[in-house]
Amino acid sequence: MSNEARSPYLPIPMHVLHAYYESTDRSLKTLELSFDDPQDAREFFAAFNPGQFCLLSVIGKGESALGVASAAWEGDFVRFTAQKLGSVTNALHELKPGDPIGMRGPLGNGFPLEDWKGKDLVIIGGGCAFSTLYALTKHLHHPSNRGDYGKLTVIYGTRTSGLCMYKQDIAAWHQRDDMEVHQAIDVPEQDWLHHVGYVPDVVKEVSPSPVNSVAVVCGPPIMTKFTLPALVELGFTPETIFTSLEKRMKCGVGKCGRCNLGPKYICKDGPVFSLAELNALPADL
Amino acid sequence: MNLILKKDQLNHLLDAWRKDYEVYAPQSLQNYTHFLPLQDGFELAFDKAHNTRIPPKALFLPTSEALLKFTKFGGYEKVPLETAPRIIFGIRPCDAHAMTMLDTVFEQERYTDPHWQARRDATVLVGLGCHVPCHIGFCTTVGSGPFNHAGLDAILTDLGEIFLVETLTEKGERLFTQLETASEEQSIQASKLQQDAAASMPIAFETEGLKEKLDQNFDSPYWEEVSRSCLGCGVCTFLCPTCFCFDIVDEAQRGERVRNWDTCMFRTYSLEASGHNPRPSRVERTRQRLNHKYSYWVDQINQIGCTGCGRCVRYCPVGLDIRAMLRKAHQLPSEVAHV
Repeated sequence: MSNEARSPYLPIPMHVLHAYYESTDRSLKTLELSFDDPQDAREFFAAFNPGQFCLLSVIGKGESALGVASAAWEGDFVRFTAQKLGSVTNALHELKPGDPIGMRGPLGNGFPLEDWKGKDLVIIGGGCAFSTLYALTKHLHHPSNRGDYGKLTVIYGTRTSGLCMYKQDIAAWHQRDDMEVHQAIDVPEQDWLHHVGYVPDVVKEVSPSPVNSVAVVCGPPIMTKFTLPALVELGFTPETIFTSLEKRMKCGVGKCGRCNLGPKYICKDGPVFSLAELNALPADL
Repeated sequence: MNLILKKDQLNHLLDAWRKDYEVYAPQSLQNYTHFLPLQDGFELAFDKAHNTRIPPKALFLPTSEALLKFTKFGGYEKVPLETAPRIIFGIRPCDAHAMTMLDTVFEQERYTDPHWQARRDATVLVGLGCHVPCHIGFCTTVGSGPFNHAGLDAILTDLGEIFLVETLTEKGERLFTQLETASEEQSIQASKLQQDAAASMPIAFETEGLKEKLDQNFDSPYWEEVSRSCLGCGVCTFLCPTCFCFDIVDEAQRGERVRNWDTCMFRTYSLEASGHNPRPSRVERTRQRLNHKYSYWVDQINQIGCTGCGRCVRYCPVGLDIRAMLRKAHQLPSEVAHV
């Protein structure tokens, strides 16, 4: 790039490194993208923080906002998992290794990792919204980061075992001695060794301690709606409960207007908010 | 500095500017007044003391513009920015004031919009004050006024045979180097006219405590009442000088990624891929429009996001009047904020 600042609407040129299905029903596909220009990679990782998102561009189809599902230490690539839902995500599912793709980001604030240092972390996810929590967990696993935080508990629920993302990694997490993992599915399945039930109920069952703890919740609206009060009941204060929000987005940089929640824009001021912040904003989700 | 521009010399001056600038001024086209570039033999249409139908924001944020051009094999390239020097002559103070509000959106430190900034930097705004204020406008109610200086590089006051020209910035000064200085009498006459014009405008609604009322009544049946006759056409937002929402779409056949004006009054504006819509009916959408102007802007820049130009009142096809809606909002009970 010249010294002229990059337009916030101009995607970074990328290409697909790996593309593979994440769920057995093929509704979720993971794309790992690498940078055409190494300078772009340096700038991206200098700014990147887990919890941020990007706008992926399939030229001729449009853009779609997706949370980053990888940690910086994993390598010079960026991982996303897309649910096949609209025209852009359908096009994303068609992509093959080597295909060109545009990416704008990293966008948004990400998780306030500095503020969380020295605290126990309770990470609660549901469905495909687990992607940024996966990035967060991977980030914490790095030896140079793990020591900054206390006990790590992950609670992850999906409708069925087939919809569980990042299966191999999560299976390996059960063997780690520096974290606790609780997986759940909604209805019983043969050979399922973990929890059965909805995430808010699993949270109550696991009953993480609120003492010097922070809880992070990402999931479908219905899960979040019932998980937040469950955490409050366990003694977590609104300042120690965080969630990541989503709304329809176009620009990703606080200009196109549509993702506002009162005076805040989810793209620019979020997507991560504490429950205390959300309580002061109108319920316009 | 105050200068004198004789009205019979105006066209001559505009022609002189046209050598170095593209000059936009209000002209008649198909029953309405528009800001159009001056051509040979132009006829100005600013004698009516009101605004063009489409606000001049359209010269900075066009209704439709390409952000990217597609190249072969999934590639893309930048669209060149418009940097040709322009003058907008005859912009009204309400519209110029709105430009300063839009600057806070498009020229944020972290993400500056290069298209907006290039056009803003290349443009000089020469305002025409409203010595006969329009009767639908309510600029003085919302902190603007018929001779407000915000956003302008120079402002003209109509003194009959002459315009008194006040240059407000260096950009403005450069345009009026050939004019004689106004006498003290003329300056006093203009200043009195300006004050009288502002004083002649009634206060349309109470703004003190209005934001709090809106914040406290987010879930009030009021929103159902005031949105009942709305058709959802979006004209109030498209013609609003402070509305800036846009959509970004890929026009595959044209080979461009385009941004188009959008409106919070449409269902698809906030409709998500899952089918969920946070603002499923005109009730929530009307609430968003009013709250954005009268509460959220106040939170963001400590100013009401409306300059009282009156377009939303004048052009609403069912006669919805934001002034009446806000008078009614002020009567709402003060309640404990919703949780």
